[in-house]
Amino acid sequence: MSFTRSNVFELGGDWADPILWYARGVAAMQARALAEPTSWRFYGAMHGIDQQLWQLLGYLSPSDQLPSSALIQRFWKQCQHGSWYFVPWHRGYLLAFEANIRAEVVKLGGPQDWALPYWNYFKPDQSQLPPAFASPDWPDGQGNNPLFVPQRYGPSDDGDVFVPVDQINLDAMTDPDFTGVDSGGSPGFGGVDTGFEHGGRVHGALETQPHDWVHGLVGGGDPQTQLPGLMSDPDTAGLDPIFWLHHGNIDRLWEVWRENPPAHVDPTDPNWVNGPGSIGQRIFSMPMPDGTFWDYAPGDMADLGKLGYTYDDLSPVTPAPSPALRLQRLGVAPLAAQAMEGRTAMTRAKNVEMVGANREPLRITGSEVRTSVQLDQGVRRKVSASLSLAAQEGTPDRVFLNLENVRGLVDSTAFNVYVGLPEGANPADHPELLAGSIALFGARKATLADGEHGGQGLTFVLEITKIVDRLHLHNALDVNALNVRIVPVKPVPEAAQVSIGRVSIFRQGR
Amino acid sequence: MTPAARERLRVRVPVLCACAAAWILLVAGPGGTAAHAHHAAAIPGTILGTISGTILGAMPLALGWALMLVAMMAPLLTAPVRHVRDRSFARRRARAVALFVAGYGAIWSAAGAALLTVALAGRRSAPESSVPVALATLIALVWQFSPAKQSCLNRCHAHAELAAFAPAADLGALRFGLTHGIWCVGSCWALMLLPLLVSRGHLAAMAAVTLWILAERLERPMPPGWRWRGPGKAVRLVVAQSRLRLRART
Repeated sequence: MSFTRSNVFELGGDWADPILWYARGVAAMQARALAEPTSWRFYGAMHGIDQQLWQLLGYLSPSDQLPSSALIQRFWKQCQHGSWYFVPWHRGYLLAFEANIRAEVVKLGGPQDWALPYWNYFKPDQSQLPPAFASPDWPDGQGNNPLFVPQRYGPSDDGDVFVPVDQINLDAMTDPDFTGVDSGGSPGFGGVDTGFEHGGRVHGALETQPHDWVHGLVGGGDPQTQLPGLMSDPDTAGLDPIFWLHHGNIDRLWEVWRENPPAHVDPTDPNWVNGPGSIGQRIFSMPMPDGTFWDYAPGDMADLGKLGYTYDDLSPVTPAPSPALRLQRLGVAPLAAQAMEGRTAMTRAKNVEMVGANREPLRITGSEVRTSVQLDQGVRRKVSASLSLAAQEGTPDRVFLNLENVRGLVDSTAFNVYVGLPEGANPADHPELLAGSIALFGARKATLADGEHGGQGLTFVLEITKIVDRLHLHNALDVNALNVRIVPVKPVPEAAQVSIGRVSIFRQGR
Repeated sequence: MTPAARERLRVRVPVLCACAAAWILLVAGPGGTAAHAHHAAAIPGTILGTISGTILGAMPLALGWALMLVAMMAPLLTAPVRHVRDRSFARRRARAVALFVAGYGAIWSAAGAALLTVALAGRRSAPESSVPVALATLIALVWQFSPAKQSCLNRCHAHAELAAFAPAADLGALRFGLTHGIWCVGSCWALMLLPLLVSRGHLAAMAAVTLWILAERLERPMPPGWRWRGPGKAVRLVVAQSRLRLRART
């Protein structure tokens, strides 16, 4: 049997049958004890768990019996972030979760072809939290709706939960490569091959936007207690029923990226295909409703047909990314640009080098922070030359802004980053200078000295090629420094201890 | 090969070449460093020679210790050297890496003086006895289990932010080398003592310790605590990669 995942806003009503059955399935999983591998909280802990945080939020009590250490070792804290395993691990996680919910639905007399809906916040009028998740009551007015969680605060921490559509983007869909680098250039659509050594501090393009951003802004934080909303922190995100609909959309976007255009392909490297088991790490493993354990590798996740499901909408979300369009923007005649396009793809950026950096670490507090990235004139001229010679060489540089060693204690912190804003300009009036938006999903854990990232924080990479092209075309690239303005979505308190180790610019090209 | 793997190779190849060169010199023995042998007696405190007459015994102390360091520690430096290289201007990469290595080497040189002194004292107090080695093994085992060792290992994974422009860039690279050296000494000192005390099979002991510290550096950082730390991930890695290659051939 093949299953079709549908848009939650297009099911025929706020409490259409698929949502009602989802709620019943969630309630059944929530009724199980933490120690049961198919319980709601066990599945949440598979994404991540911080026992102290769970206790503070009321999801763990001293009376809870923990699973055996063997089960914990095998299943808990599996989530893959800052890695090229990000999308395939989450695809399997969703499939296993969906199978568990479906088993409950069928047990309760529901449809055998039930499938998990997804939340496509990019569609007009669909950026608000789906109503069934916002009500504490079931549709009959009775309380205890399992889809509702009080720890969901929204972008302004006021309980109004929505995704600000002007601050999310699908730029990742235009990234030509699945995997990238962590040396300052493109991290790729799907993330960086972290190799045998410990890594994982750079998030891939899709993970950065929209994934991290939606997590941080939907979850928000409690303004009274300063505790995070469930969705804001990787250690609690899997406890929120909306998590699964958000990741349904991320999973859908992976499929859209692969289908449009067909040049977008998954890695074929054996270390990706065979997964982390091939580099000595834990394999992906999920508890299934029949009591078995399902082990899988990224290579098993490549074909939706074989996996037995699809989406109701896999149409392209943006105009097809085309290097030819960029070449035309840089002054190459349309026909010549088309002819060069293939060559451009063949000579994709191999060399990455720093163009400039700011001089001091930044503390992010209040509602705006500014810094200046000093440019090395030799490398800056190299960038200018590659843009000027686009007509002859067809391989203009791509340029990236790096926010290095980003540390902080509050994962719901989110900010927009502008490059080249004139002094006194209102950022909101210059969307063309918006480099991107960053949410610190995972930064708290990466800040802990004895945590998985050794306290080094995360590094975020934003492509600013369009902005640099624009500066070049306006003869404004011949400068010693570029201004960078960081505008938090909401004022950042001192207590959040958010800092950026260095702001730098890198070129990627010949 | 992925773009990231290509970037790793750019650093890994020269680092492993330096490591291999050091091992060749060590294995080639006094003959390989015969030109330096006559200096040994002139250098006060040629401790290794006094200790054991091992393969290093004929070498000047500093050269012997430096060779030992390159042979054993170079493979650990791939990640931090790559960090320094990647986060520096291309024209400053060699300088930044040199400063990082200088800082790292300075810390290990200081640690080496202390370790060699301890080794000398051990050998002198009980010549031809296995007690010093047994005692050092016990210390290494206790340290291996300790939360302090985990703290040091965790900090070896830190990639500090680096200034881009001189003089702050030079100071930053040097400071990163010094800091990295301190945590590296913290995690490896007890294990490094073992080959210094072994009079027979010195090179084999060095090789075993090298593989061990390389293996434990592959593990992810984790909260400090009393626990066994072994080469589990490295063993799994070797087995899995061997299987992959066999499968690719058949």
